[in-house]
Amino acid sequence: MRSLYSAQGSWLHKVPAWTKLAILSVCGTLLVLIGRPLYLTIACSAVLLVFVSVGPPALRCVRMLGGMAIAGVLIVLFHWAMGTIWLGVASALRIGSASMLALLLTLSTRFEDLLAVLETVMRPLQRLGVPTERIALGLGLMLRFAENFYVQWQRLDDAYRVRAGHGGGLRLLAPLTIRTLQTADRVADALAARLGS
Amino acid sequence: MTASASITSSRSLSYIALFAALMAVFGLIPKIDLPLGVPITLQSLGVMLAGCMLGPRRGFLAVALFLLAVALGLPLLAGGRGGLSVFFGATSGFLFGWMFGALACGFTMRLLMRRLAGASGAGLLAATFLSCVIGGIVVVYAFGIVGLAWVASMSLSHAALAMLVFIPGDLIKCGVCALAVQTVVRGMPGWHLDRD
Repeated sequence: MRSLYSAQGSWLHKVPAWTKLAILSVCGTLLVLIGRPLYLTIACSAVLLVFVSVGPPALRCVRMLGGMAIAGVLIVLFHWAMGTIWLGVASALRIGSASMLALLLTLSTRFEDLLAVLETVMRPLQRLGVPTERIALGLGLMLRFAENFYVQWQRLDDAYRVRAGHGGGLRLLAPLTIRTLQTADRVADALAARLGS
Repeated sequence: MTASASITSSRSLSYIALFAALMAVFGLIPKIDLPLGVPITLQSLGVMLAGCMLGPRRGFLAVALFLLAVALGLPLLAGGRGGLSVFFGATSGFLFGWMFGALACGFTMRLLMRRLAGASGAGLLAATFLSCVIGGIVVVYAFGIVGLAWVASMSLSHAALAMLVFIPGDLIKCGVCALAVQTVVRGMPGWHLDRD
């Protein structure tokens, strides 16, 4: 399964993952603290400049901001109807700025690099007996089987279509779940054999 | 899986990962539109299924694992959405609510199945439907409405009104989940629905 990471490099790709995460956390907090639409407009313009400066990798992901833009317009319209339009503008600018910053992080940071930061942050939990090393194993298993189950869903749908002349839709949910659980049992046996528990 | 299997065992990890995978697959299946044009995506159905089938703790962890993969940049949400940006949007409260929704589904299911020991047929159907309504609608919407009210600077009542249109679709999903759980239990008689 392909990540939203853009393989085409940019200046932002060279910034370490933990630095970008720290900047996102600080900026996210600041955006929550700022209430004035003027300051939020300046902040949003600055984020927009950074977004454009990243070039083609960012521009290819613009569609990811579509849902955010629609939500922003709806929020402004709602507040306009309520007579509090500037509150709506401030909310929409805040959502827009935070979403663009987060998208910049996603498109310029590899999945493995973000996972490495997460594992480092969670390492202290190992002392409390939390098996944090299993997070990466769980993610790997999940991704491997998501593709496998999608193929199984399509096979079930094709088989249903041949019999009934139309797709199975939600009728396939139970058989797919049963297959999932049966696969889970086999994987669990294999894992127990390798990991010992 | 026995009802008492350790939460950190390989078997638990396998079930958690595979239900997270099931949620990812639900995101790949095209959305269904209700008559009024309201889209139904199957991922919230995955939340209900994870809670009812895996129990509260494993259901919570399955949804958390799925959301972690989304946060790390995988486009697993319906419509190919993903990355950290989805956690900053107007509907981000729902994503956090999914985890606690699965937890509440599992708790309610466990409670009801222990009360109605060996329930099947209409009893099992009603117990699953009620668990889905509590976890998948009451809890998920509580988080979603608070999230929307906070992000969009709205009052809670206005945010709740804006979400009303999605309730019919989610009630249908509760019914579908109840039917699916009943069929799965019939197909796998050894499966426990009262696990921790």
